[in-house]
Amino acid sequence: MKICDLCGKREASLSVRQLDKEGRATELAICAECAKKRGFTSVEDLKKNAAEILAELKAKVGEQDETRVCPRCRLSYADFKKSGRLGCAECYRTFAELLAPLVRRLHGSVQHVGKGRQRGRKRAQERLELARLRAELEQAIQDEDYERAALLRDRLKRAEGEGAS
Amino acid sequence: MNLVPEKVGAWLSDTGPEGDVVISTRVRFARNIEDVPFPGRMKFSEAELVLDTVHWALEESGYLKEGKFFEPGMLGQDDGLYFVERHLASPDFIASRSPRGLFVSTDERLSVMINEEDHLRFQALAAGLDFATAFKLAADLDERLETQLEYAFSEEFGFLTACPTNLGTGMRASVFLHLPALVLTREIEKVLRGAYAVGLLVRGIYGEGSETRGNLFQISNQRTLGQSEAEIIEVLTSVSRQIIDYERKAREYLMHNLRVEIEDKVFRSLGILRGARIISSDEATNLLATVRFGVILGIINELKMSEVSQLLVLIRPANLQVIIGEKLTPAERDERRATFIRQKLVR
Repeated sequence: MKICDLCGKREASLSVRQLDKEGRATELAICAECAKKRGFTSVEDLKKNAAEILAELKAKVGEQDETRVCPRCRLSYADFKKSGRLGCAECYRTFAELLAPLVRRLHGSVQHVGKGRQRGRKRAQERLELARLRAELEQAIQDEDYERAALLRDRLKRAEGEGAS
Repeated sequence: MNLVPEKVGAWLSDTGPEGDVVISTRVRFARNIEDVPFPGRMKFSEAELVLDTVHWALEESGYLKEGKFFEPGMLGQDDGLYFVERHLASPDFIASRSPRGLFVSTDERLSVMINEEDHLRFQALAAGLDFATAFKLAADLDERLETQLEYAFSEEFGFLTACPTNLGTGMRASVFLHLPALVLTREIEKVLRGAYAVGLLVRGIYGEGSETRGNLFQISNQRTLGQSEAEIIEVLTSVSRQIIDYERKAREYLMHNLRVEIEDKVFRSLGILRGARIISSDEATNLLATVRFGVILGIINELKMSEVSQLLVLIRPANLQVIIGEKLTPAERDERRATFIRQKLVR
């Protein structure tokens, strides 16, 4: 029977290997009580803990997934799971890592290899921006938010100038 | 309506390559405008803005001169169905309540749905097995629209769509097949399973969930991400060629071994169509498809294949009503349909 190296009284049930600063290992025999006091845990305990921690983490992350909301269109991941439809382009960035496994299942790939996007002047898009700015300006005036209205008016002027050039 | 109701588009009035088996080829693209929520999530004002912007982009690209633009008010339930039956719009599009628009080119080969599930869904149709023509038409429109519109796109996922099943190329390519011999010889299951195994989707000709009528099938790509447009078309073309080959072999077998039975089936179908006083669209579809088969096999010589193919569309409820120019009850429709078919088939 081995006696605990720390208290020198009780029967040792654990063997702990300690490394000193020079890297030399010393073997200690410790009893259960001293182990608890010093914060040593057995591998079995550790395994159990890890599983619990992971499950807890997963539940938390899962919860976060469900309630995660796209900042642009306010669609939540739970909404997407219900309808199968995303709300806007930003959703793909917001839920990127959640969507990847699904996309892989659907297509066997997560990397687009087809036609790319063309760069160039998009005149209809400019018109759309102008219309949107005008609507926002109108709303700001209606809300009597004149500071914002002035800001929008300047942006609109700049945008119109660019459109005409 | 400005379209010619009695004449269905070029894709049905011509007989294209491999026209004895492949009725038509379709290439469809789904696109969205960056910075505006997808149709399912956008506000009414945003939907109006998208409609206006795409309308303008189409005008700037010169397309509006070559066809007609229909706005929501002009797309009531019946008129809407008229376009669905002609394969120019989807049932979802007609059911949608947000501001939406439809452009249809005069020859009906091109159509653009605005604010369906995605901001833009446009398609090109070609007669027979002809991906080259259909793809070029759709891709040209895509490029011309892209000089006007900023598409939602990511390097990883490609063109971004409301439903992840359309991601990437946003392209759905399909062929409409007429496979009576494979159905009669019970080989069809095997063939369709084979197509499914290589990642293709098989459906009835009137789209998702519709049962197959008249031995008409639609085969399309399931995957849109991870394969280029050319690769998708290549797979579809090679599978189509195999099916064409099977169908022709089955036809040869039938004509060799069961000629009288086939002739009997074809002439009975023609007989019913020429004699009926009341006929539903499903029954008419099945009989017309058999008559088309008879024309292909040379059993019937006095009718043209394209003529019969067009009738398959014209006798559908909404098209029939537009042709007749009246709103009809189902019972009235069945009677007028029988009369219409008789007029067309009795020589």
